[in-house]
Amino acid sequence: MTNPVTQDRRHFEDLRVGELIALGRVTVTKAMIFGFAREFDPLPFHLDEKAAKASLLGGLAASGWQTGALSLRLLNDAFLSKIASAGSLGFTNLKWKAPVMVDDTIGGTVTIAELRRSDSHPQWGIASLDFDIRNQKNTSVMTMRLANLVELRDAAP
Amino acid sequence: MTRWFENIVLDEVFDLGAHIFSESEIIAFAKAYDPQYFHVDPALAVHSHFGGIVASGWHTAAVGHRRMVDALDAEEARLRAAGETPGVSGPSPGGSKIAFDSPVRPGDTIAYTLSVYDKRLSNSLPGWGLLFNRMTGINQRGEHVYLSEFVGFSKLRDYRPDLKTRAVLALRKLPLIGGWLKRLT
Repeated sequence: MTNPVTQDRRHFEDLRVGELIALGRVTVTKAMIFGFAREFDPLPFHLDEKAAKASLLGGLAASGWQTGALSLRLLNDAFLSKIASAGSLGFTNLKWKAPVMVDDTIGGTVTIAELRRSDSHPQWGIASLDFDIRNQKNTSVMTMRLANLVELRDAAP
Repeated sequence: MTRWFENIVLDEVFDLGAHIFSESEIIAFAKAYDPQYFHVDPALAVHSHFGGIVASGWHTAAVGHRRMVDALDAEEARLRAAGETPGVSGPSPGGSKIAFDSPVRPGDTIAYTLSVYDKRLSNSLPGWGLLFNRMTGINQRGEHVYLSEFVGFSKLRDYRPDLKTRAVLALRKLPLIGGWLKRLT
């Protein structure tokens, strides 16, 4: 059965291990940090500049969940919107390596690290996607691996 | 929760309460962070294997984190009311896994729990410990939709640095020599 939404996109068969996806960039403003933190991570060091200075982070920094969400958006724009994505199984090995401070610009790359067919669902493959998110000083701020389902064009084994 | 590192009991399960995922909220989150058609467009989502829109997994995770922060606040208020001094939670260096076991659909109620399955002293930050947290999310039909394992920093109540560490910490506060020492240590 052909999915009319994804039929003209790249399918699992079109992906190659080692393919490097260049992400766009996003600057994380104070308003963005406060907005996200109010909704999902209202800890003092994401909401209050004074408390942030006194914390382990040493200044106002984005929630790690926000860094992840923004990175996911960058991957959507560069890649997920162009393939026959069928959703995500989850993430592994997530590391917040350095805080994303106010007005930092983040971007980076995602590499296709592994491709395998699903054992239980012949219509899908699983793409392991390694994020390497960096700030404007080229310091690594976050790495993680996403396991994303991708439809096969030809599901015959 | 916001207890001192020393007071954390392994495998004690905390009820973080439940969250109802409305369709408008699912779409608003996904439009900002994960605008795949099965997260943002109910008409197109019918063609996906989900058969309708589902929440971005990252949304499920972010809401779980919010439930945890609220529970930490409540625990802190409870401790203060009892005349105790609450502990201090620090930032998280990351986690080993986030698993989306079943989709979260509009109108689903997800009940979250948190437990600490391991803890140890931090190697890099004197005076802090590491908590290994497990969070689960279960929908109104009892199906597991979310599991994550995360690390969080937690301050030690009984920490007393040795003389050398105390000297370094004091010197680091000085304007000129401090910056130089921070680069060294």
